[in-house]
Amino acid sequence: MATQAHSLSYGGCNFFRQRLVLSTLSGRPVKIRKIRAKDENPGLRDFEASFVRLLDKITNGSRIEINQTGTTLYYQPGLLYGGSVEHDCSTHRSIGYYLESLLCLAPFMKHPLKAVLRGITNDQIDPSVDVLKATALPLLKQFGIDGESFELKIVRRGMPPGGGGEVFFSCPVRKLLKPIQLTDPGKIKRIRGMAYSVRVSPQIANRIVESSRSILNKFIPDIYIYTDHMKGINSGKSPGFGLSLVAETTNGTFLSAELASNPQGQGTAVLPEDLGRNCAKLLLEEIYRGGCVDSTNQSLVLLLMTLGQQDVSKVLLGPLSPYTIEFLRHLKSFFQIMFKIETKPCGEELKGGEKVLMTCVGVGFSNLSKTIK
Amino acid sequence: ADKVIPRKSQSNLNLEKALVMKPALTTTDSGHCTAEEAFASDVESEEESSLDSLEEGSGKEQGAKKKLLKRQHCQGEGGHQLESNKNIKDENIEVEDLLKEEDEYNEEIDFSTETTGALKWKEDLSRKAAEAFLRQQQATPNLRKLIYGAVAEDDDD
Repeated sequence: MATQAHSLSYGGCNFFRQRLVLSTLSGRPVKIRKIRAKDENPGLRDFEASFVRLLDKITNGSRIEINQTGTTLYYQPGLLYGGSVEHDCSTHRSIGYYLESLLCLAPFMKHPLKAVLRGITNDQIDPSVDVLKATALPLLKQFGIDGESFELKIVRRGMPPGGGGEVFFSCPVRKLLKPIQLTDPGKIKRIRGMAYSVRVSPQIANRIVESSRSILNKFIPDIYIYTDHMKGINSGKSPGFGLSLVAETTNGTFLSAELASNPQGQGTAVLPEDLGRNCAKLLLEEIYRGGCVDSTNQSLVLLLMTLGQQDVSKVLLGPLSPYTIEFLRHLKSFFQIMFKIETKPCGEELKGGEKVLMTCVGVGFSNLSKTIK
Repeated sequence: ADKVIPRKSQSNLNLEKALVMKPALTTTDSGHCTAEEAFASDVESEEESSLDSLEEGSGKEQGAKKKLLKRQHCQGEGGHQLESNKNIKDENIEVEDLLKEEDEYNEEIDFSTETTGALKWKEDLSRKAAEAFLRQQQATPNLRKLIYGAVAEDDDD
């Protein structure tokens, strides 16, 4: 960036991605100190280092300085360049960890991003690629990011600890984002799901479907849970199975829940029946929380609202997650944007848990790097 | 309130039934007990009395003593039973009293709701609404303040 804003300084390893992503978008350098300074194994972890490398790949002219022990990181962002990128993600975290940040950055690239990410597609920590595909992509479409080239495809599935999955993500670029008014989530219209299994009996996926339907069938007739059994090289290196469920409302809101089996050799074996039932219950919990955006994408929607045109955007969310709360604080320090936050008590028309209406005026962020054709 | 009253009366009826049943049960019980216990006590008393007599070791007038002891035992047992009966009766009375108190209490509630309460809820509606609003305002946490800290209040647009 031409004008160098003074850098922001943080301590600790928490919210690492948030800070680097916001720094990249705002152009403000960031300095993170005391990264696991008191840990027995101090400094950046493998997956964080891998994330920094990915940022380096999609930007042009970034300056990254890491001290010897890895406890201090200075990041001066360059321009978001985009283009074709291939990245081997660390197997400590799933591709979702990297993809979440790419979803924030991709619309603002100079060239449309075409990323091939390799690693773990589904794990127990991060939102899986299936869930991001089902929830985050429709959300981005609300902001006017759409087109044929907008896709997220699971080429190969990879489960922890081995990984071996592959995902293709391509996203068009936009100069401006549309403001959104999402205040009415509507009612649940249908439930879709994906029960996957790799390197285990294909029957396991059917067992998952049956058990989760045993709970969901009581509520709504329109349920379809696909089974996905990938074979051979497409099944990655480790066995595993899992389920992701997505409830779609009449107003185009997607609420999701997911569960995955324990990685091979870690923890006790999970019964497919239990997994299916628990996942169905998680979906019910998510529906109870409600809102127009599910809890995994709360911070994404808030970021895109902030970066929108200078117009009012509104979104109704369920209870804010701790991650989102910290994200709001970061948005304030990077973009000087403060949201108007109104709690909506669960009245007659708003069922379920307490809702929060978030309102903000976009900073009028425009994608300066986009070439005009 | 109309719906509630029949329920209460039903429960009262049930309680009354229970009350009617309880004494009847106790009386039959006690009668039965006396009959059985009389035999049991006979046997016991004979044994005990024999033991007693052995302990005492007085050879003469064993028969007379036995009879006396028997009578005493019987009397004692009978007295005991009477006492226990009394206890049961006392308990019953206590329960009855409690139930009566409850009955009276219920009636009082019915009384108040039927007459004054029906009109009272309409009074001061605006004030009540204001109070409810304030209560709700205080109960819901100020998320803006929680998230952004005290600074949030300064630049409230």
